[in-house]
Amino acid sequence: MTGGLRGLVPAGQHRALGRYLVAVVVYAVSEGVAFGVLVPLLIDLIDGRTGRAGWWLVPLTAAAAVGWVAHYYLGSRALRLSTAWRRDLYTRIGEQLVRLPLGWFDGPRAGEVPQLVVGDAARVAGSVFLAQALLGALLTPVTIAVFLLAYDWRLGLAALVAAPVVVAALVLGGRLSARTEAAQHAATAQAGGRLVEFACAQPTLRATGNTAAGRAALDEALTAQHRAARREVVGSLPGEYLGELGLQLAFTALLLSGLALATDDALRPARMIALVVLGISLLRPLDAVVGLTGDLRGCQASARRIDDLLTVPPLPEPTAAPASTAARAEGAAARATGASLAEDQATGAHGGPPGEAGIELVDVRFAYPGGPEVLGGLTLSIPAGRTTALVGTSGAGKTTVTKLIARFHDVDAGAVRVGGVDVRDLPSAELLGRVALVFQDVYLFDATVEDNIRFGNPDATPDQVRDAARRARVDTIVDRLPDGWASPVGEGGRLLSGGERQRVAIARALCKDAPIVLLDEATASLDTENEAAVYAALAELAADRTVLIIAHRLDTIVRADQIAVLDGGRVLECGPHADLLARDGRYAAFWRERERARGWRLRHDDAPTGQPAPEPAG
Amino acid sequence: MTVRDEAGAASGALDELRRPVRGRITVAAGLQALATVLAVTPTVALVEIARRLLRDEGEPVWPLAWTAVGLLVARFALYASASLLAHLADADLAHLLRRRLTEHLSVLPLAWFAGGVSGRVRTIVQDDVADLHHAVAHARGDLASAIAGPVVVVGYLAWVSWPLALVTVALVAVAQTIRMRLAVRATEQRARIAAANTELTAAVLETVRGISVVKAFGGDRGGAPRFAAAAADYVDADEQAQQIFLRPRGVARATVAPATVVFVVTALGTAMVAAGWSEPVDLVAFALLGVGLFEQITPIYLAQELRETAQGAAERIGALLDEPASPAVEPARARPVGAPLTMELDDVRFGYDVRAAVAAAAAAVAAAAVVADADAAAQADAGGGSGGREVLRGISATLAPGTVTALVGPSGAGKSTLAMLLARFADPTGGAIRLGGVDLREIDRDELYRRVGFLLQDAVLLRRSIRANIALAVPTAGDEAVRAAARAAAIDERILALPRGYDTVVGEDAQLSGGEAQRIAIARTLLAGTPIVILDEATAFADPDSEAAIQDALAELAVGRTLLVIAHRLYTITEADQILVLDDGRLVERGRHDDLLAAGGRYARLWHAQNGEATVEAVPPGTVAPAGGPR
Repeated sequence: MTGGLRGLVPAGQHRALGRYLVAVVVYAVSEGVAFGVLVPLLIDLIDGRTGRAGWWLVPLTAAAAVGWVAHYYLGSRALRLSTAWRRDLYTRIGEQLVRLPLGWFDGPRAGEVPQLVVGDAARVAGSVFLAQALLGALLTPVTIAVFLLAYDWRLGLAALVAAPVVVAALVLGGRLSARTEAAQHAATAQAGGRLVEFACAQPTLRATGNTAAGRAALDEALTAQHRAARREVVGSLPGEYLGELGLQLAFTALLLSGLALATDDALRPARMIALVVLGISLLRPLDAVVGLTGDLRGCQASARRIDDLLTVPPLPEPTAAPASTAARAEGAAARATGASLAEDQATGAHGGPPGEAGIELVDVRFAYPGGPEVLGGLTLSIPAGRTTALVGTSGAGKTTVTKLIARFHDVDAGAVRVGGVDVRDLPSAELLGRVALVFQDVYLFDATVEDNIRFGNPDATPDQVRDAARRARVDTIVDRLPDGWASPVGEGGRLLSGGERQRVAIARALCKDAPIVLLDEATASLDTENEAAVYAALAELAADRTVLIIAHRLDTIVRADQIAVLDGGRVLECGPHADLLARDGRYAAFWRERERARGWRLRHDDAPTGQPAPEPAG
Repeated sequence: MTVRDEAGAASGALDELRRPVRGRITVAAGLQALATVLAVTPTVALVEIARRLLRDEGEPVWPLAWTAVGLLVARFALYASASLLAHLADADLAHLLRRRLTEHLSVLPLAWFAGGVSGRVRTIVQDDVADLHHAVAHARGDLASAIAGPVVVVGYLAWVSWPLALVTVALVAVAQTIRMRLAVRATEQRARIAAANTELTAAVLETVRGISVVKAFGGDRGGAPRFAAAAADYVDADEQAQQIFLRPRGVARATVAPATVVFVVTALGTAMVAAGWSEPVDLVAFALLGVGLFEQITPIYLAQELRETAQGAAERIGALLDEPASPAVEPARARPVGAPLTMELDDVRFGYDVRAAVAAAAAAVAAAAVVADADAAAQADAGGGSGGREVLRGISATLAPGTVTALVGPSGAGKSTLAMLLARFADPTGGAIRLGGVDLREIDRDELYRRVGFLLQDAVLLRRSIRANIALAVPTAGDEAVRAAARAAAIDERILALPRGYDTVVGEDAQLSGGEAQRIAIARTLLAGTPIVILDEATAFADPDSEAAIQDALAELAVGRTLLVIAHRLYTITEADQILVLDDGRLVERGRHDDLLAAGGRYARLWHAQNGEATVEAVPPGTVAPAGGPR
C-alpha cells in the first residue's frame, strides 16, 4: 500500500514517522469511539433514562478531547516530518545530479528533472498529510463497524453488504476509465504535435496558396481529441458513480432492514434508531476514500520517478587520485608563466601544463545504450597545444568522440587518456576542470552577459571576466546591448544571434582557462562581421591550448595542425591539410567538392553545372 | 482595489469564453443543486420515521421509507446527469475554443510566428484550454450545491430545534471565519512561495543544462550550489507559510470535527431533554445532518487554486484571440493580379510607432530578424523605447520578371525586414508594394502566394510523407512531377536511399539533416512553380556540409524566375541583374556588380572589406580596440 514511498523515507526519520502514524491511528479510532458511545446514550435518552444518558457524556468527552489534542499535535508533527522529508529529498536529488554521468543529461529523462523537483518531491513529502486523511477515512469506519457488529450483527451486515459491491465497482470502473483516459492522453499528445507543427509551419503552409489544405491534419487530430474527450467523460462515469451507488445501497439496506426488524418486533425502535444512526455515520467518511486512494497512487508514481533518478548508477569514480595531485602542483607552476588568468586559481582544479593536455583514444569502441556501434575501434592521438579538426559526414561519430573525452559515457572497449591518464582514473571534477566545452547547443542562462561568462569560472575576478570577454570579441556585442554588461541575454540566449552566442561561449571557455577545449563549430551561416569576430575568438582560444574542433568551415579546417577524417566510427585519414590533399583520398575529394561550392555564382540563366567561376578580385 | 479590479477583469474573460455553453452549465448547476437538496431528504425521512415509531400510534412508516429510497434514486440520477451534462459541455467547449484558436492562428500576420512561438501556442491551445475544466465543468455546480445544501439542512434543523441549530451553525461559523481569514493570508504568502518556486525551477534548469560546469566546480563543494540554496529557500518559504496556518487551521478543524459536533450537540441536547425543552429524537437529526454541514461548503474553498489557474488561462486565451489578424481582403474587393508580374516597391516605409497593431507586427518582425541580424532587433528595441524609428525609410525599386535582384548591406540595414514585407509577413507602414500593378493588400492571400514563394527561414518539413511534403502546394501532382522536382533539387538520390523512399514519413521513419530538409523545401518551391521567389542566402546555406548540393538546387530555382536574394557573401551575386545596397533603411546604391565596384561607393567598400577579412590571419588579435568600459 505504501508502494515506493517507504523506500524514500529519510534515514533516521522512520521512528518519528512511526510515532506520528500511531497518533493518527489513535485519533481515527477515537472518532469512531465517539460514535460508538452515541448508541447507548441515544437509547437511554429515548427510553427516558436521562441521568444515565448523562454519564455516557464522560467517554464522549474523552473521545472528543483526544481528537482535539491529536489535531493540535498531528498538525505540527506532520509539517515537521514533511518538511524534513522534502529537505532530504532535495539534498539527495542535488547530490545525485552531480554524480550522474554527463551522458544521462543528453537523454530523454533530463527534461523531467524540473517536474521531479518541483512537483514530485513535494507530492511525496505531502504523503505525510495524505496519510492522516486516508487513515482517518478508513479506520474511523472500521472502528464504527466493530461497534455496530457488536451491538447487532444483523444491521452490521446490512451496512457492510454494499462493501464488496463498491470494491468490485471501483475496480471495474477504474479499468474502464483507465482505458478511455489513456486513449484521451494519446489523442491529446497527437493533437499537440499537430498543433506545434501547424504553428511552426505557418509560413510554409500559407506559401502553398491553399490555406484549407494545411488545416486538414490538424482538424482531424482536434476532432479525434474531442471524440476521445467525450468518450472519457462517459467512460469515467462508472468509476465515479458506482462507488456512490454502493454507499446508497448500503443506506437503503440499513434503513429497510432496520425497519423490517423493528416492525417485526425483533428490535426495539429506540435501539434500531440508534443503530441506524451509527450505520450512517459509518458510511459518511467512505465518500472520501475514492479520491484519497487516487491521490495515494499519484504519490506512489512520484516516488517511483524519484527513486528511478536516485538509483541511476553513477560512472565509477577512482577511489584515490594517484598522479593527479602532483600533476596539479606541477601544472600550476608551469602555467604561471604563460597564462594570466590561472595564477590565482583557488581550487587549482584546472591546472595542467600543455604536456598534460594531450589526448589519446586507443582502439575505442562505443555504442549508445540499445543502439548500433558508433565507434568501431577508433584510434586517434591529439597532441597537446595543437588544434585538431574532426571532419566527416553526419553520423560518422564526431560528436561521440568529444563526448567520450569529457566522459559523458564510458567506452565499451579501448581507452581514452587525457594527459596520459585514463579518464576513468581521474576524479570527474578534475577532468572537467581541465576541459572546456563549447558545443553548438551551449546553454546561455537568462542572466547578464557577464554572469554567463563568469559561469565558466565562478572564482574569476571582474577583470578576468572582462579580459576573456574582450579576447572573445564579446565587448562589441556588449556595446550594442541597451544595458551593456548588465543586459540579460534571454532564455537560452535568444536575444543574441548564433554567432554572438558562440562568442559568449568562447569567452566562457577563455574565462575558465582550461588547457583542453572541445569545440563544435556552428553550422549556421554567420554574417561577415560575426564570422570575422568568431574566427578571431577561436584564434585566441587556440593559442597554447589543445583544441579538438568539429569543423565545418574550410578556413577552420585548413588552419588546423592536424585533420582527422572520420567515417563509420573510425579514423580514415589523419594529417595536415597539405599531406591529405597530396594523398588524393577521401579528404581530397571532400576538399574539391567544397572548393566548387566556394566559387559558385547565382545566375538566373545558369544551368546547374556549377562550374567554378573566376576567383573574386581583392 | 486593483486586486479586485484585476479579479473582475479575469472573471470577465472567463465568462466571455464560457458563453457558448452557458446554458448547458447553468442547467447542470441547477440539477446539481437539486440533487444536493434531495440528498438531505432520506435523512429527514429517517428522522420522521423514528418520530412515528417512537410515538407508537400506529402511523405508517413504510411509505416514508420507500419515498426515501425513491428520492435517493432520483438524486443519484440527477447528480449523474448534471455531471455528464457539465463534462460534455466542457469537452465541447474545449473543442470549440481549440478550433477558434487555430483558425485565428491561420489569419495572424506571418510576422507573429517568426520569433518561435511553438511553446506558447501549445501552452495556450492545449494546456490553458484544459485548465478551464474546473471553471466550466465544476465551478457553478459546486457553488450551487454549497448554497442549496446548507440552506436546506439549516432550515430543517432550525425547524426541529432552533437552539441546537444555532449552536451547530455557530460552530461552523467559527471554523468558516478562521478559514476565510486564512485564505486572505494565504494569498499574501503565495507570492513568496511562487517566487521561490520560480527560482527553484530556474536553478534546476541551470544545473541540468550547465551540468558539465557544475560538475567541474561543484565536485568539492557538495552538490550544485544554486540548486541547494534555491531548494532550501523554497522549503523554508513553504514551511514558514504553513507555520502561520498551523494553529488556526488546527483550531478550525477541531471545532467542526465530527466528534466535537457530536459531543456538543449531545451534551446540550441531553441537558435540553432533561429540562423537557426537546425530544430525544431531535438529537438524531443533529447527529446525522449537523456533522456533515461544514463539509458541504468545503468544495468551493478547495477550488481556490483551480479557479485562479482557470482565470489565468482564460486571460491568455483571450489575449491570443484578441491578437490583431492580418487584414484580409474581402472577396468582393480583391483585385486580380495583372500582367506582367513586375514587383514594384514604391517609397516603402516600415516603422514602429504608427498604431498599436502595427507595432505588434513590427516587434514580431524584429524578433524574427534576430535570427538573421541581431543588430536590427537591438536597434528596433532601442527605437521602440524612444518612439518612432523607421527601419525602412522610403525604398523604391522594381523587380522585373525573370531577373535576379540581390539585397546587400551591413547587419541592421533592413534587408530581412524588406524581404519579409515582400512575402507579406507584415504590411508596410508607408508607401506600397505592388505586384502586377496591384497593391499586395488588395490581393487575396492564396492568390498572392500562388505567385510569390519564399525561403526565408530554416526549412520546415511536416510530419507526413516526403512525397506529400514536396507536393504540399500541388497535392494533385503525379509521382513523376514530384520526382522531377526532387531531382532538380539534388535530393532524389538521397530520398531513394531511405528505407521507404518517397513514402518515408519525416520525423517518424527518418531524421533528415538541415541541408536535406532545405533541398526538400527547394523541391517544394520548384514544384509549386511560383514565378517569384524570395530567398535568404543565410538560411539556404544553413548546412555547410551540403553546400554544393544546395547550390545546384538553387541554380535550378533561378531558371526563368524572378528572384530576390538577401546576400551575405557578395561573391555569390556578382552576376545578379540588379544589386540593391541598403544602409540604415535607405537604398544608397543600385546597379550591376561591375558598375558598383567601379563607382567606388558603399558597395565597393563592402566588397573590399569582405574579401580582405575573409581569413582570420587578417585580423590579428592585437588590432582590436579595447572594450568600452561598463556603464
